[in-house]
Amino acid sequence: MSAQSYTAATSVDEALEAMATGARPIAGGTDLVVGARGGKAPLPDALVAIHRVSELRGIREQEGGLVLGALATHADIVASSSACELFTALADASAIVGSHATRTAGTIGGNVMNASPAMETGGPLICFDAVATLRSASGTRRVALTDLFTGPGRTVAEPGELLTELAIPTPKDGTGSCYARLEYRRQMEIAIVGATAVVTLDGGTVRDARIAITALAPTIHRVAEAEQALNGSDASDAAVHAAADAAAGASRPISDVRGSAQYRRAMAAVLTRRAISTAITRARGGRFPIPASPALHGAVNGGAA
Amino acid sequence: MRYDATLKVNGRAYPVAIEPGRNLLSVLRSEVGLTGAKEGCDDSECGACMVLLDGQPVNSCSYLALQADGREIVTIEGLAGEDGDLHPLQQAFLDQGGVQCGFCTPGMLISAKALLDRNPSPDEDEIRLALSGNLCRCTGYSGIVRAVQAVAEQR
Amino acid sequence: MATAEKPFIRQDGKDKVTGLGRYTADLDMTGMLQAKFRYSDHAHARITRIDTSKARALPGVFAVITHEDVPDVRYGPFVQDRRLFAKHKVRYEGELVAAVAALTNEIAQRAVELIEVDYEPLEIVSDVEAALQPGAPLLHEEWASYGASEDVVREGNDCSRSTILKGDPDKGMAEADIVVKERYVADMSHAVPIEPHAVVAQWQGDRVTIWSSTQVPFIARSGVATTLELPEAHVRIVVPHLGGGFGGKCEFHYEAQVAALARVAQRPVRLVFSRREEFLAPDHRREGQVLELETGVRRDGSIVARRGRLILDNGAYSADAPFFPQLAAMMAAGPYKIENVFVDASLAYTNTTPSGSVRAPTAPQACWALEQHMDSVAGQLGMDPVEFRRLNIVKNGDEGPTRQVFEDIGAAETLERAVELIGYGKELPDDEAIGVAVGWWPSFGIASGAYVKINGDGSATIITGAQECGTGAVMALPLLAAEILGMEPESFSLLYQDTDAGPFDSGASGSQTTFNNGRAVMAAANDVREQLLDLAAEQLEANRDDLELKDGAVSVKGSPTKSVTIPELAEAAHGSTLLLGRGADAVPEMPASDAAGCTGRLGMESFLAPTFITHAVRCKVDRETGVVRVLEVAAVHESGRVLNPIGANGQVEGGVVMGIGMATLEGSLLGEDARQLNPHLLDYKLQTASDSPPIHIGWVDSPTKPGAGGPKGSKGIGEPPCVPTPGAIANAIAQVTGARVHQLPMTPARVWEAMQR
Repeated sequence: MSAQSYTAATSVDEALEAMATGARPIAGGTDLVVGARGGKAPLPDALVAIHRVSELRGIREQEGGLVLGALATHADIVASSSACELFTALADASAIVGSHATRTAGTIGGNVMNASPAMETGGPLICFDAVATLRSASGTRRVALTDLFTGPGRTVAEPGELLTELAIPTPKDGTGSCYARLEYRRQMEIAIVGATAVVTLDGGTVRDARIAITALAPTIHRVAEAEQALNGSDASDAAVHAAADAAAGASRPISDVRGSAQYRRAMAAVLTRRAISTAITRARGGRFPIPASPALHGAVNGGAA
Repeated sequence: MRYDATLKVNGRAYPVAIEPGRNLLSVLRSEVGLTGAKEGCDDSECGACMVLLDGQPVNSCSYLALQADGREIVTIEGLAGEDGDLHPLQQAFLDQGGVQCGFCTPGMLISAKALLDRNPSPDEDEIRLALSGNLCRCTGYSGIVRAVQAVAEQR
Repeated sequence: MATAEKPFIRQDGKDKVTGLGRYTADLDMTGMLQAKFRYSDHAHARITRIDTSKARALPGVFAVITHEDVPDVRYGPFVQDRRLFAKHKVRYEGELVAAVAALTNEIAQRAVELIEVDYEPLEIVSDVEAALQPGAPLLHEEWASYGASEDVVREGNDCSRSTILKGDPDKGMAEADIVVKERYVADMSHAVPIEPHAVVAQWQGDRVTIWSSTQVPFIARSGVATTLELPEAHVRIVVPHLGGGFGGKCEFHYEAQVAALARVAQRPVRLVFSRREEFLAPDHRREGQVLELETGVRRDGSIVARRGRLILDNGAYSADAPFFPQLAAMMAAGPYKIENVFVDASLAYTNTTPSGSVRAPTAPQACWALEQHMDSVAGQLGMDPVEFRRLNIVKNGDEGPTRQVFEDIGAAETLERAVELIGYGKELPDDEAIGVAVGWWPSFGIASGAYVKINGDGSATIITGAQECGTGAVMALPLLAAEILGMEPESFSLLYQDTDAGPFDSGASGSQTTFNNGRAVMAAANDVREQLLDLAAEQLEANRDDLELKDGAVSVKGSPTKSVTIPELAEAAHGSTLLLGRGADAVPEMPASDAAGCTGRLGMESFLAPTFITHAVRCKVDRETGVVRVLEVAAVHESGRVLNPIGANGQVEGGVVMGIGMATLEGSLLGEDARQLNPHLLDYKLQTASDSPPIHIGWVDSPTKPGAGGPKGSKGIGEPPCVPTPGAIANAIAQVTGARVHQLPMTPARVWEAMQR
């Protein structure tokens, strides 16, 4: 590991100052240090640690939504009752990142800016219309998550820009959501196929559906054809199937050690269908455990698929 | 360039001078001289290096040592009482056959302590889920789970 | 055993739970250097140039060595086909070309990268069947000139061929009402101890001490002595705490290279493997197999004939795998009554990391194939698979594949108990099923020795060559000595881990510690017991035949007041003749067999004190994704007499979970360049605590006759628990999905693909 210089910022301004001279921010280290140890990429030459910047911590409610500080950990998100109630798919996702140790150290800011096409929280944040605040020494701008990711490990953020918070607007009444991931094991998985569904029901009709697929393309993205198949429908099995098939059709999976493209495409349909069905169940007020994924694989103590 | 830091490990302060890229595990094992935390993998998958940082379990192999400056670190060596009495979890691991080769044991005990600190009476599945970041190749986890259950029941 | 009732706390336990115990990588010494290896850049290539000058010139580098810096010696237990460093050719991606010792790991790594090696790439052979095709490129052109045990049958890329012939299989097959033929493939997998390999070497004059994470210190010593051309007395191997092995740390690995570095550098040198290296260069991984099995049965369910063609993957060099074909052939025949058998098994060289004994080598894969095949045959017969096994499983008086006559076995009992424990036949949800598999495994009789000495205060010390790898087998040795000496197990200390201290033992391998060293410790304890009784007879002025030794004292039978305690005897002995026992019990004789029609006989033609196992597994299969969850396992073992139930249960629990891993997720994938694609724990997935199910354990008590097995009629315990688990899981999957998965591991994708056919 090659890092040469280090500062520990205590405020956002200090962090931005360091970043203006080329330092890269580090919080929980669960992507950066692991990546360096595994030989993926060496540590940046200059590091600015932001774990002490208290203004970046925590989850707060503000009018019209929730604000996640960049240092909010996955464990914080799972422990937040607002996140679990309003943004259930996000809680589904944070609850299955790595191990308990990863979830207590790993932050949402790091997770987002690492921009892995397999990151769990990406699909939910995109579907919930999350907006990232990027600050640099020269100013502040807000970028919708949909526009943030440009490729594996790449975002629109400039080198001096720090993600300070994510704002997520409160979904409309009648919304249920779910993030479902294919899991070979019950824990310690990485997304091989993931799907997010955020469904808003009006009576028996789907008023708004958001569907995103994870680890099935160079970036996590919404699938318009899948959403169209559900919007205006009666949320019937047929509509759910059509949406799931559309999601699979829009996937561009690769073949690698984790699975063949053919298998991944087939699983895209299965996982999307399960995510949508669970989102609908939740939209109707039904209970489904968080995280949803283990129960969706017929887990030992879980509910039905 | 090296930076000065003070690591508070098991209640004792260790002044150290370390390069920014050093991970906490390597500093604990060399400068601090505590080899209880182990290195079992390259990618934060095995949990053998787990320590408590401000009471939370972290994989010390993937945490920068400088970021632990001034914070409370507990390693496996800090689990037993000052009088040398084993922590109930340590004793239970021995009683229940939770220890074979012992290489995962330090991280496993740290993980188990973190679990009981946040949830004093977990059920079996909660125990299994909480310990999933710590790989054991010897025991099949049965003895380990029994040990944590035994301590949880005592509380 | 008197002490079996109360929990027995292992002596190394406190050291391990407090984190104070030292493993090899924890050792540090003044002036110690760090070692790094330069691995081959190709899986198969001719070396045309090695230039180490730039590496040598790097500040902080103390030693850079290649084949030129060590004796030109070929080594290997059965076939001497390899050197410490590649000379003319490299044959797999993890082969060593050079080694460096430097002040820090970073400098050593930079130096390794500065070594220039030119290659002429050669055609890669990574498929075992292709390797045996006529005209396939030879990995070892000079194979015929290699030294080898004369019983190894070799030809080109086939490094060891073995056959079993019994009866007339062609005639038998012709008489069958139904013949079922199937093909199965098992991928290579790994032992994956959580502690990666580590070695520290330090010279004192012309003698070297090597601290190594080895399961087999005496074999490591002999490897160092052979390759560095030293007398064994100049090589001392010390094993600190050993963080698991499972066979991956058997045999001789990197002790000699590190010792050679330390000799050149004139400093202590430490090597610690990364997890990646542990996958690429473990020098001992579980071999892949291709198995074609054919079985002929009569309508009544009796098996008339079995034919098998097996090809096992040796990798690029021969570790101990040359005896695998014979072992695998026995596994393919299985613990069933079959009059006519022919199995032909080969061991193919490929450009992959060498295979070697990993927990019950060959057995989980071969059993997985055979037990699926048994279910397929039962299906063709329209017979319940348990009933089919019940009809054919071996019982006392039956003959095995080489006409070994079984005595004192409880194979059928394991089957009955396992199906009872799991509730075979009970109503289950439609995505669940119970699969059953039966397996067997030999015990290994090998020379082994121990000393027992009584200390001045009446406590005692066992000095043994046996090696603890975590199983607790060495930790349990005091139980055996304590019973003989009428003492508490807690009053024994143990000295092991050091080749200069204990007598020879073949190490933590082959489930042999209790089996062989247990007998040695008992013999040594009996030796001391005789000395105690002699001394007590003198002290008590009693007839020796009237004495009894129990509860820490020798007393005259019938007059308990006339007694002398062991501490008193010890004190007396320390004023005259010390109490020192030695033990080296004779190796049990191999059971008779008729292997006249068999070739490649390497000691597996009959099974000494065979253990029998049935696993019954309840699984849930997600039919849409192929994800399998194992919900419950019943594991019933006949291992003769069980001596230490806590230790034995621990072996079953660990072995079953390893078997679940092998069944569902553990396998290495190779790229076209024969490099492993998943040499890390993120994509080589071990079972976690949350994947591991409740395990119901049963023991069928069936002690061997005295002299036919281990202490008190016991058998090997450590390896068998992983043998039938993958087969049982496979059968459960097939029950739920109606589709057989013909490749191991049975990943979700493979289960799903099988259902699409």
